[in-house]
Amino acid sequence: MIESSELPARRPGTGGTHPELALAYAADDGSFAVYNDYSAGRAVFRPRSETPPPPEVAATWRRTRDGGQVRPVAPADPVEGYGLFTFPYGPISMGVPESGRFDVRTYGERILALVPVAGYKSRRILASVCGQTVPDAALRIERLAGNFSAAHATAFLSAAESAAGASVPRGELWVRALAQELQRVYNHVHVIARVAEAASQNVGTAQTQALAEEMLRVQGSVFGHRWLFGALLPAGPRRRLDAGDRRDLSNVLRRHAATFDRLWELFLGSRTFVDRIQSTGTVTPSLAKEWGAVGPTLRACGVPWDDRLRVPTSPYTDLFLDLPQESGGDALARLLVRAHEVRASFLLIEQLLDRWTTTPEALEAPAPPVAPSRALGRVESPSGDLVYDVTLSGDRVASIGMRSASQANFPLFARGLRDGVFTDFHFAWESFGLVFSEVDG
Amino acid sequence: MTLDIAGTLLTASVTAFFVGAAGSFVDRRVGYLASTAGSVGLLVVAVTVLVGGPVTGATWSGPLGDAEGLSVDALSAFFLLVASIVWTATSVYSLAYDDRPSPLLAVTYSLALGSIALLMSASDQILFLIGWEAMTLASYGMILQARGRSERVYSAAFVFLAFGEASTLFVFLAVAGLWAGTGTFAFGPHLGPGTLATLVFVSGLIGFGLKMGIAPFHMSEWLPIAHSSAPSNASAVLSATLTLAGAYGLFRTVSLLSSPPLWWGAVMLGIGAISALLGALFASVSEHTKGLPAYSTIENNGLILVALGVALLAESDGLTALAVFAVFAALYQALAHAVAKTGLFLSAGYVEHTVHTFDLNSVEGSVKAGSPGEYAGTLAAVLSLAAGPPFAGFVSEWMILESLFQSYRFAQSWVQFVGLLSGAAVALAAGLILVAMVKFAGFSVLWKPHSSPPIRRAPGLGAVVAAVGAIALAVGVLAPWVLGFLAPSASALLGTRVSAPVGSLLSVPSGWSILSGSPFGILSPPMIPLALLAGAAVGAGYCLLGRPRPRRRATLWMAGNPPGQPGQTYTSFGFSTGIRIMMSSVLGTREVRESQGPVAVAGVHAVEPYSVDLEVFDSFKLFYAALVRMGDGISASLKAWVMPGRLGRYLAYVLVVVLTVVIYVAAAY
Repeated sequence: MIESSELPARRPGTGGTHPELALAYAADDGSFAVYNDYSAGRAVFRPRSETPPPPEVAATWRRTRDGGQVRPVAPADPVEGYGLFTFPYGPISMGVPESGRFDVRTYGERILALVPVAGYKSRRILASVCGQTVPDAALRIERLAGNFSAAHATAFLSAAESAAGASVPRGELWVRALAQELQRVYNHVHVIARVAEAASQNVGTAQTQALAEEMLRVQGSVFGHRWLFGALLPAGPRRRLDAGDRRDLSNVLRRHAATFDRLWELFLGSRTFVDRIQSTGTVTPSLAKEWGAVGPTLRACGVPWDDRLRVPTSPYTDLFLDLPQESGGDALARLLVRAHEVRASFLLIEQLLDRWTTTPEALEAPAPPVAPSRALGRVESPSGDLVYDVTLSGDRVASIGMRSASQANFPLFARGLRDGVFTDFHFAWESFGLVFSEVDG
Repeated sequence: MTLDIAGTLLTASVTAFFVGAAGSFVDRRVGYLASTAGSVGLLVVAVTVLVGGPVTGATWSGPLGDAEGLSVDALSAFFLLVASIVWTATSVYSLAYDDRPSPLLAVTYSLALGSIALLMSASDQILFLIGWEAMTLASYGMILQARGRSERVYSAAFVFLAFGEASTLFVFLAVAGLWAGTGTFAFGPHLGPGTLATLVFVSGLIGFGLKMGIAPFHMSEWLPIAHSSAPSNASAVLSATLTLAGAYGLFRTVSLLSSPPLWWGAVMLGIGAISALLGALFASVSEHTKGLPAYSTIENNGLILVALGVALLAESDGLTALAVFAVFAALYQALAHAVAKTGLFLSAGYVEHTVHTFDLNSVEGSVKAGSPGEYAGTLAAVLSLAAGPPFAGFVSEWMILESLFQSYRFAQSWVQFVGLLSGAAVALAAGLILVAMVKFAGFSVLWKPHSSPPIRRAPGLGAVVAAVGAIALAVGVLAPWVLGFLAPSASALLGTRVSAPVGSLLSVPSGWSILSGSPFGILSPPMIPLALLAGAAVGAGYCLLGRPRPRRRATLWMAGNPPGQPGQTYTSFGFSTGIRIMMSSVLGTREVRESQGPVAVAGVHAVEPYSVDLEVFDSFKLFYAALVRMGDGISASLKAWVMPGRLGRYLAYVLVVVLTVVIYVAAAY
């Protein structure tokens, strides 16, 4: 008989990860923390001692970072009763494309409590990059979660650049922004396709998947790799976007934007689809703030937070971003936010291509480091706020910490699904856009 | 000469039960052995009657001058046949099952059997009533022998007695009506249509329906069995044969009333369909090893009523072929249910005997760990009750659905509509009972235990259950011939000589098929096992003659987790929660959450521990609660008015009575 701990468990990561991460991000070597000041709408640095994160949040976060251990990544709700049992869903089950488990506490049909269990997918990537040069490390980091490769690469690179105090050519920043927005569109379309699939909207699923595939092809044609691997490194393979290329790209994307608009209109017109996601996996605003929700999950609760606006970096400082906001907090609200963001990203790309930098070689100063040779890189990934905390030693990575959007949102998914029924699972799961590999590292 | 021997045997068999009851005080085995002997004797008598004709036992002159005595005609022979099969099994089973220090269970058991035998072999209504009332009292005593919390046992037994006495009242009314109409207590003369016949029918339906546990009286069936966790031999007798006595009474009443009006059949059909649906629904959400079979009894008795209702409707409409088919369906349903239900209760008794639980959630496959006979017998009983081919329940369910399919033949459209709705309800009930039976089998028989718990083996119990399962199989496979055997009973009920709806079609040998209508549907029960065997033979031949394939053995896993972790598998409760939620409007499902102490971890994020319970509610309970409240109110006000506790008032009563008698007598002379 195999013990569950024996299955894919390895030794815990030894890659010099930082001991504490909380809310937006808190590096707990006693020095500082970053909080999202929701009322002021900006990120603030504070001494850790001033406002420590709630202990349960801190504990959960510690668990989400314990790479390699099979462990719960959300707190368990203590519930007992007649006929109750724990139904293990996963790690190898239909419906969840990754290796991850959900312990569902139920009396049948209704989900009374749900605990996601991670650790099956650990590749110890963060541990493995310590001691490597920044470009080598970036090659591994972007493979941490293929869907979010641009976000991870950008966050890591910007942290490393800040830590090194190296200025970045403006052209690089514009290319990173283009890659991120393309990938955001792909991700949101992909999420919508998967929710549609869960709702058995077969025609809509096929058409949305086709659109997602088109977006991958666009990424491939511009960056030489469908998943953008290697493309964001300074020496990465990519086309020089001359005026003709930009015009062609713009035309293609305009067509895709129109396709998306038509599809989304059809989805919203399907009662079966909307009924299924309405009031499924609801997250209340207070819960979202307490647990530090990020990304579309947070914006679907009526909190207008987006790192592109609140932690502004070039070129977002020069562009117009239409920030969506919904108040429902359910799967429908999250999908509405995502659909809106697809349009906003198309608009951002249009602006980028229109005003493509005329001085790509001009240098932009990096964000100030938080400590000598140590800096944060903060990026709005498709699923939300992504933070890298990198300490360099020379040109090599000395230690690295990461707080992904999935880590932040897993407890909210678990909470949101409480008192739902089994069939709600996939709608809720897909609408959060969670990825186990971002938690396992 | 043969008949005389049979008559003596009838008298001796009925007497054996009562002798056994007395003998039980000496040794309880005397009671069970006498019951076994009596049951076998009655079985012989019933077969003799069905083959040869009526048998008359002891007769005497009753206090009212009527001839009283024991006699069995073709109709009562059928019910005696079914009952004696059940009793033979339960009596042999009881020899190994009953290990109580007190002989009272054996005494009341023998008395209950004896009184049911008495009422079924009574030649007249007075003896029938005596048997009826004795049956209620003896069963009441039997329920009181239950283990468990005494207040629950007392309240369950009281509910049984209350419903039983109400039933007796209505049966009295029916008998009085028959007497008023025909001038005799003997079973024989028919009562023509009219107000009196309607009175007899309605009181009969209520009185006998109360004993059958049909809606809205289903409380009378499940509550005593489930609430008190009555002894298993008692449960089997109550569920299989006490309700059968109710069915017998109803069949007898119907046979004594000629040319029924259309609405009788429609009412019977409707009530039957509702009972079947309610019974199946509550069975599927029951977690009690005896509550579940008890609810299933309600479903089955509902089905008997449905078939009888179709027969009455068809008779009123002059659809003779349909009426005959429906009568056979009703008889077959009674037979199939009684046999299979006995198996199920005896299996529950085995569970009780070995793992000491009535909770299906904690049975955990103990039947599987027991004897192979137990295993196979329980599966056969469950399959039969779930209407699985080729078992008895499948044939009867098929016949009932076939007769409902033919409701388009009725002349009036509203009758067609009632038939249509009832058909839908019966089909739904058949689906729901499948959930219940899968649950029972899955959690008691097919479950793979985490570890092998120490099981008290009881091979004696297992052998009886296996025998009952074999009967359920045989009755199903040999259905065409069994139907032919039951033809005299159907003739007795219909009042004309009919033969079984058996024939041939296609290349099936003549007499191997059951035909519903001519031609409507066809089923050949003997061909089902033959086809299954042929398929198995082909498979076996392929395996034997084909090239041997390499075998691979792998460790079992559960989606990446080690299998069978305790607490990580579906509970029996969880299995049927889907129905609890889907049918919440009928079941009144509600979730009760109770806080369990203070918050475990401080802070805004912590959830306080709580316990959750998903409850279902039988809304008919509200009706009975209201009835009880009303009764209490009336009795309280009557008491205040009639019995105020004043001596003067009581003296006045006496005076009034004396004066009335004086005036009456004076007027008479």
